Amino acid sequence: MFNLQNTLESRLRAPFALTMQALALCLSLAGSAAADTAARPLLLFAPASMTSVLGALREEWTAGGHQMTVSFAGTATLARQLRAGAPADLFISADRAWLDVLTAEGLLRQPQRVAGNRLVLVVPSRSSRQSLSLQAGAVADALAGGRLAVAMVESVPAGRYAKAALTSLGLWTEAQTRLAETVDVRAALRLVALGEAPLGVVYATDARSEPRVRVVADIPPTSHPAIEYWAAPVAGGRHPDTAAFMDYLTSPSAMAHFRQAGFTDPQPDGSH
Amino acid sequence: MTIFTPDELTTIQLSLKVSAWATLVSLPPGIAVAWVLARREFPGKWLLDVLIHLPLVMPPVVTGYLLLMAFGRQGPLGIWLETTLGFTFAFNWTGAALACGIMGFPLLVRSVRLSIESVNRGLEQAANTLGANPAWVVVRVTLPLALPGILAGAVLCFAKALGEFGATITFVSNIPGLTQTLPGAIYNSIQLPEGEAAALRLTGVAIALSMGALLVSEWLTRRLRKREGQAR
Amino acid sequence: MTLQMDLSHHQGDFHLQVVADLPAGVTGVFGPSGAGKSTLLEIVAGLRRPKQARITLDGKVLCDTAAGRWMPPHRRGIGYVFQDSRLFPHLSVTENLNFGRRHGRAPAHPSTCAEVIELLGLARLLDRSPGSLSGGERQRVAIARALLSAPRLLLLDEPCASLDLPRREELLGYLAAVCATSSVPMLYVSHSLPEIARLAHQLLLLENGQATACGPIHELLGRVDLPGLSRSDEAGTVLLVRSIGTAEAGLCSYEHAAGVLRLPGPLVPAGQTIRLLVKARDVSLAVGEPGQLSIRNRLAATVMEVGPPHAGLCEVLLDAGGDRLLTRVTMATVGELSLQSGRRVTALIKSASLGH
Repeated sequence: MFNLQNTLESRLRAPFALTMQALALCLSLAGSAAADTAARPLLLFAPASMTSVLGALREEWTAGGHQMTVSFAGTATLARQLRAGAPADLFISADRAWLDVLTAEGLLRQPQRVAGNRLVLVVPSRSSRQSLSLQAGAVADALAGGRLAVAMVESVPAGRYAKAALTSLGLWTEAQTRLAETVDVRAALRLVALGEAPLGVVYATDARSEPRVRVVADIPPTSHPAIEYWAAPVAGGRHPDTAAFMDYLTSPSAMAHFRQAGFTDPQPDGSH
Repeated sequence: MTIFTPDELTTIQLSLKVSAWATLVSLPPGIAVAWVLARREFPGKWLLDVLIHLPLVMPPVVTGYLLLMAFGRQGPLGIWLETTLGFTFAFNWTGAALACGIMGFPLLVRSVRLSIESVNRGLEQAANTLGANPAWVVVRVTLPLALPGILAGAVLCFAKALGEFGATITFVSNIPGLTQTLPGAIYNSIQLPEGEAAALRLTGVAIALSMGALLVSEWLTRRLRKREGQAR
Repeated sequence: MTLQMDLSHHQGDFHLQVVADLPAGVTGVFGPSGAGKSTLLEIVAGLRRPKQARITLDGKVLCDTAAGRWMPPHRRGIGYVFQDSRLFPHLSVTENLNFGRRHGRAPAHPSTCAEVIELLGLARLLDRSPGSLSGGERQRVAIARALLSAPRLLLLDEPCASLDLPRREELLGYLAAVCATSSVPMLYVSHSLPEIARLAHQLLLLENGQATACGPIHELLGRVDLPGLSRSDEAGTVLLVRSIGTAEAGLCSYEHAAGVLRLPGPLVPAGQTIRLLVKARDVSLAVGEPGQLSIRNRLAATVMEVGPPHAGLCEVLLDAGGDRLLTRVTMATVGELSLQSGRRVTALIKSASLGH
């Protein structure tokens, strides 16, 4: 009898203690959440291609005493999340089409250009090729049975720009049947870096960040629609820092960061 | 079929082809591994169990990346297969089938293992006493009795293969006609603001195909059960 | 055939130790529950590896732990009828039977097949599935399946245990027919002495894991120094009688050296020798001429031996015309009737069951 009682007690003790601890944790979390709504960080939605440069900008911004959270994903994903009511304060779009749709739906206010980008052709750094002239047949030669790595040409912005560029350069027919379309431009970069694809079309900013690839050609900016990054405050957002951060994004110090990362300056008339 | 564009039809056909091959090729090794896990004890058995379950717990993109490193054009296994057997996975539907098969493999093994474990070992003993060697016992007693579980596992594998995206696109990228499966096409569609209609159409197809596989499996299982319990 | 066993196996607290040489024929393995009978069968069949054993069948080594030799069960040619029949549920009766034929030692001749099916009354059941059969029918299929694998030795593990009384009688009838017609040696495990007495020629007595006796069943049943046998509720002996072939008032007559017995039951053709199982509790004693009694079957007998007393009772062994009879009386009766070796008595037999 005595043993039974002891055993029961000791067996109940552990789960009871666990329950109390869990309860305490829940309470403290609820408490901190309550505290946060009083002064929550600015929430920025940004395209994945801006990951490193926005990291640097964020550091500078938060050093001034502000708080900011950034959510990185593909523009389409972020746009759909916004449509579904995500509580973002600011939205940076890498895709003009999505920007127009969101603005038309009244989800974004007063967009502003913050940066531009260029397309480049890259090869694996192990390759002996140093440059590629953009003549007809050049791409086919360079591929030599391999595939051209690009982001998905119908949907992902980087892919759409690549298709537009190749088409206007007269290289689309030879490239069309030899594509390896990836889920995003980073994956295309990775294919070239690993040597799986002998050639790839990526952003200049991506090429800079990857030591295992070499740029062999700059795609003329006139061959495709302007690659622009637009920032806009989200309609209905009430964060006090929103306007200030918008100003910061277009400030000279921010532009210096963008330039350093390989982005181009936004031109008011769209040319760059 | 005017509901779907020719490209979409190609995608659906390719998805079916990839998933079917992934399942068929996974079955023999899947059954073998499940049998070993169910009926044998040996040092390091836990390690085999963990390895089998890795694709289930790792992020699919990681699995795809590992496949790329091993079986890609520059990967050691990829190079060996190409030079010795003239066979490529990279940027080919075979690679998609490999990725889908690997992702579905743990589900197959789990289901088959449970099924084999539930086969009465006394029946296997009886077969032994009647002169059947261990191989015959597996073929004529264990596996036939485990068939419902094998079917369920195959269906799970097929359904997983139909829905597999991350590993596939990371390994063999998205090449319409060669490696663009249903999920890839759906992803492609939802990237565009106006792509919802296409996405929904294709999603409907994916659901219909999975349900079809499930129904076939149910029907087959019921027939098996009936055969076992005649005149009950 | 000869089955030679020398084994010592332990599992937890249980220790099985058997040293025996078994000849051809039907050997009954008798013992209470937990005596180790099933374990013994499993070891002989190769379904369980003994800690220490040397077992040979017809000279072939099945298991020799000292020499590190072990023959897997599928090569031993030893058939096994399990208590739970273990028919393959996904195969029909015919397919179950064919499994035995297909994987057995030698493909059974079609005529053998037909014989076995007829012997066990399976003709109507061939297309059925095991799930739709009754317990008795399943056991019959199991027996047939094992026989069709042409075994060198057939092991039966309490085949009647899970059946109710009428089904048990029915199955025993079939088993008796099999034992009579088949030349396959058998090891028949049971905790029911009448079953064994009806079917077996040899007896192996297993008590608490130890083989305490082994020998012809006649001899062992007629001993009072084996309490495992003699003190059993169903202890008894076997009489060999010859049918006279006549029946009157529903009783058939049988001739025995020590008298004539009239028993109910089917008419056995004249001249046929059959075994009668007489239980100790169905035998009463009378000294001198018994008066008018309801018991008609009387055999002249002589007391051979009075067994040791237990709980106020003791067994008395009688010699009736060369056969042994066993009865159980109180110690008081021993004194009153002056029962001692050599005393002439009349054995009154209330009932007996027919064996084969």
